[in-house]
This record gives sequence, C-alpha cells and structure tokens, in this order.
Amino acid sequence: MQYSQKVLDHFMKPHNIGKIENPDAEATEGSPACGDQISIYLKINAKTQVIEDIKFQSYGCASNIATGSIITDIAMGKTLKEAKKIGWKEAADALDGLPPIKMHCSVLAVDTLHKAIKDYEVKHNLAEADKFNKETIVEELKKVIYPQVGEDIVTLKMVKYAGFENGVAIIDLEIPKFDEHRDNVVEEIREHLEHYKEIKEVKITI
Amino acid sequence: MKKYYFDNCKTSQPAPEVIEAMMPYLKDKFIFPANFVSAGSTAAEELEGFKKIIADSIGANTSEIHFTSSGTTANNIAIKGFLSENAKHGTHIIVSVIDYPDLLTNAAFFEKSGFDVTYLETDEDGFINLEQLENAIRPDTIMFMTTFVNHTVGSIQPIKKIREILDTADHKIVMHVDAGQAYGKLPINANELGIDLMSISAHKIHGPQGVGALYQRKGVIIGHVIHGINRLDNHQTGAVSMANIAGFSKAVELTFRDFNQNVNHLRELSNYLLEKIEKTIPYTLLNGPRGESRAPHNINVSFDYIEGEAIMLMMDMAGISVATGSACASQGLKANYILMAMGRNHEQSHSSMKFTLSRYNTKEEIDYAVEKLAEIVKELRSRSPLYNKE
Repeated sequence: MQYSQKVLDHFMKPHNIGKIENPDAEATEGSPACGDQISIYLKINAKTQVIEDIKFQSYGCASNIATGSIITDIAMGKTLKEAKKIGWKEAADALDGLPPIKMHCSVLAVDTLHKAIKDYEVKHNLAEADKFNKETIVEELKKVIYPQVGEDIVTLKMVKYAGFENGVAIIDLEIPKFDEHRDNVVEEIREHLEHYKEIKEVKITI
Repeated sequence: MKKYYFDNCKTSQPAPEVIEAMMPYLKDKFIFPANFVSAGSTAAEELEGFKKIIADSIGANTSEIHFTSSGTTANNIAIKGFLSENAKHGTHIIVSVIDYPDLLTNAAFFEKSGFDVTYLETDEDGFINLEQLENAIRPDTIMFMTTFVNHTVGSIQPIKKIREILDTADHKIVMHVDAGQAYGKLPINANELGIDLMSISAHKIHGPQGVGALYQRKGVIIGHVIHGINRLDNHQTGAVSMANIAGFSKAVELTFRDFNQNVNHLRELSNYLLEKIEKTIPYTLLNGPRGESRAPHNINVSFDYIEGEAIMLMMDMAGISVATGSACASQGLKANYILMAMGRNHEQSHSSMKFTLSRYNTKEEIDYAVEKLAEIVKELRSRSPLYNKE
C-alpha cells in the first residue's frame, strides 16, 4: 500500500491545522476507539455566507491528517452552499487518490465539514436539524466504506435490507463469512448508527 | 539517508558472514545432497554438519532436526502433522488468545474440522493464565501450543512450569513451541524444558529468509503434511536450499559464539531505549512486563492522544523503521489482538510502537531515534483534538 506524494506532503505539513477560538460553527466526528477522530472549526461571514476561516484537528493516521488538510483547503473561501457540495471522492481525488483501505478517512473529513455547516445553519435558523427516519440510516450506510475496494457498501449493493422498527435499526448485509473486512464493516456501521438517540439497538444480520 | 532499523522481530539484516557462507552453494556447490556420487556425498556430509550446529544450539540430536522453508512451514508441519496423526488419541487442544497467528490459524483450522480448542486468557503483562491451563486439561487433550516469546510484547512464557502442569495429566500431552522470537535471545535446551516440537527461523537471527527448522523430539510421531519426492527425510519433502541452510547455520554459529555478550548487549540497549523514552516523552505506557521476564530485544510503548500509523510514517521519513499495533496500519483495520487481550483499550493499542533490536544496533542509533520520536510525538499531539495539555 502506497500513499501519493500529495498525501505525504499534506500529512507532513498540514494546512489549516489548529483550533479557532470562538468559532461560528464546529463539529467532531469519529472516535479514538476506531483510530480516527477529526474536529473542524469554521468562521463564517454572516452576510455573504462565505467560509472566511477554517481549521481542523486530527487524531488519526496519515490519510486522516491529509484529508483534513485538503478538505479545509477546498472549503476555504467557498460559500456554505458550495461547501456542502464537496464530496469525499473529490477530496480523495484532490490528494491524487487514497488507497482503498483508507477511503473512509475522506468520508470522515467530508462528513465532519458537512456537520459543522449544518451546526451553523441550525444555529442561525437557516435550516432545520435533521429529522431521523429510515432514510437517515441509508444515508449513514452510504458513509461506510468497504476497505477492499474503497467504495461504500450501499453502492456496492452489500446492503440487502435497511429498516427501522420500534427503535431498532435492522441491517441485512451480504458479505462472505470469511471476508477479512467483515468485522470492520460491522463495527463501522455500529459506529455510524449508535450515536443516534432514536436508535436503541442496531441489529445486523449477515 | 542513513537507515535506522528497529524492526528485527519482522526480519533482520543477514550478517555479512552469512552471505559469504551461502555464496559457494549458489555457484559451484549447487548439487543436491545424495549418496554414492562424490559431489552429492560431500553435500550430504555438509548438510549433516549444518544440522549438528542447529541441534547443538538447542541441546538436541541431529536426528531431531528437520530443515523447513520457514518458521511458519515448521509450525504447520508440527501442528498439522501431529494432530492428523494422533486424532485417534484425542481431539482437544490448548492454545492462548495471544499466540502467534501460525498457532491460532492452525487451531481455528482444526476447530472447523471437529477438534475442541481451549483458548487460554492472558494477564495484563502478556503471560498466559496457568490456573486456567490446569483446569483446561482433559483426558482427550493431546496438544498444548504456545509462543515462547510473545512477538508483540516480548513476554517470556514459563515453559518449564507449563511442562510441569502438562505432566500432571495421566497421559502424555505434547507441547509445541513457536520459538521464532525466543531463539537466539534466550538459552533454550529443548530436552530440559520438556519441549516436544519447536519451530525456529533463520531470518530473525541475521540468517537468510526462506529457511527455518523444526525440532521433533525423538519418539513424538507426526504424519506427513507435504507429500512429494522424499530426498532427505519424511518432513523435508522437495528440494532443499543448501545455500539457505549454510547461511542459517552460519547465523546460528555467530549468534551462539558470543551468546551472553549478544544478549547482554540487547538487554542493555533495550533498557536504555525504554529509560530514554520514559524520561523524554510524557504520557507513555509500557506494554508487556518489565525486567527479566521480558525478551531482551523487545520494547513496546503506547503514546497517549495520538495514532501509531502516523508516528510510524514520520519515523520512516526520518529513516527509522519501527512497527505499530494500530488498526490503521493493519490489513484488516483491526486493533492489535494481543494488546486488546491484555486489557489495553483501543487508543492504547492504536498508539503502540514496537522496537525490536538486534546486535547491530547501537546507543547512538537509539539516541537519534528517541530524539526524532520525541519531536514527532510532540508534533502529532499538537494536531490532536484529544490533547489539551500545554
């Protein structure tokens, strides 16, 4: 497995690293237990909705730090509307690609940026907080990357069923029994869903 | 850039004398050992000589040594060979959750085919639970396997004590030992320790890659695992690499020639390394035991608030090779199973760095490595949202 020179450059000398005191918005995603966590801080011009400053902090591997660096570069100077359109593939491409097993780092960085923007919009009555429903579960599953190929499990049609009944998220997966990434995918799904207060239990069948 | 190599548990640099010893067999002396023709007979005699060097190093007879193509092959021949041959006497085996993957994957393989496996737990320093071992022994237990020196945290399992426990059974329980990390670092007398089967590997002691050996105590019967042409003995099927074997025995000669001096050097270096890390870098945690119950070449430390792959990569860019237990650096994205079994949490496992030393390392190299490590840890902590100290 090799990192591109661009990943290494951003890892060694990350841009926009640090914390903004009194930020207009912030978000933290991931967890140390999973080996990666990222915090993003925003300063936003209330009139123009332009991101005037953005910083990040990272607990994670080289690709986690590099994606934090590149995503803050891309978002700097953009309006909130523009920044919301940034996707994880765009971030990975801007780094000249990531190894498939590291693609989830890009998803985490972009997701954190989107959460920080949402935080701002909700605080300023520009948007309502997300309402939880079955679609939320599918959206979260789209952020779970199958490490072997670096694509999400919904696109890969590994999710046979996703439902929500009486506080129980029910996920039916299709992954071979001896797939070395199976436990990792299951763990990732749990990580994405378990912090929703609406979900009391995550039932995954394979 | 000068390279600083501290990953000798994975593989080690072949000694120059080893390469020299191999060369004739890659050139003119390419003939297989065989009887009757002169070149073949010479090779056969030399092979016996090499075997004797290995045998002497563990207090064994030459007839008890089989050369294999790696330590893993030796483990497979021992485990698969013994269990398939002796299933009629029982189908229960004992291993521990912190053993080397060779042992655990073989145990899982036999579990799938109907064997019962007891997985012993570990304490927080990486020693297997002996009380549990006592209780696990059953009339149908035929084999116990263990990793002499744990490949992650360097804990030395008390083999002699384990033998005594196994001997409390009314029947013979065969003990297989993976000595990949122990061989050349601890004195091993297979007979005195009551070891029945044992694997060792050349490339961990400055020998060539692609050769190991299996010790099979006289009287312990193992079946054929690799079928094919039988050139030398039942377990050495196929072509032998005389060059590798010559290199292996040279490495053994060198290791045991100044054995005490080598071990003292390793112990002194690893103590120096640990002391320096603990003195220079705050918020660290040693994984595995302190002192004499730890192999002399292994230091494994966790660094709070940061992640190991990032540390490893920055060290690599400074020319320093080390290993990490971080999930991010593993193929399966899983935290190190040994550290987790010892009760470390995910963060401690992700941030663990393993230094494994060799006789070629020096204090000056350690000075450089720890100086760089301190800078890197400081830099990564300054980027971490978990670190609010300064």
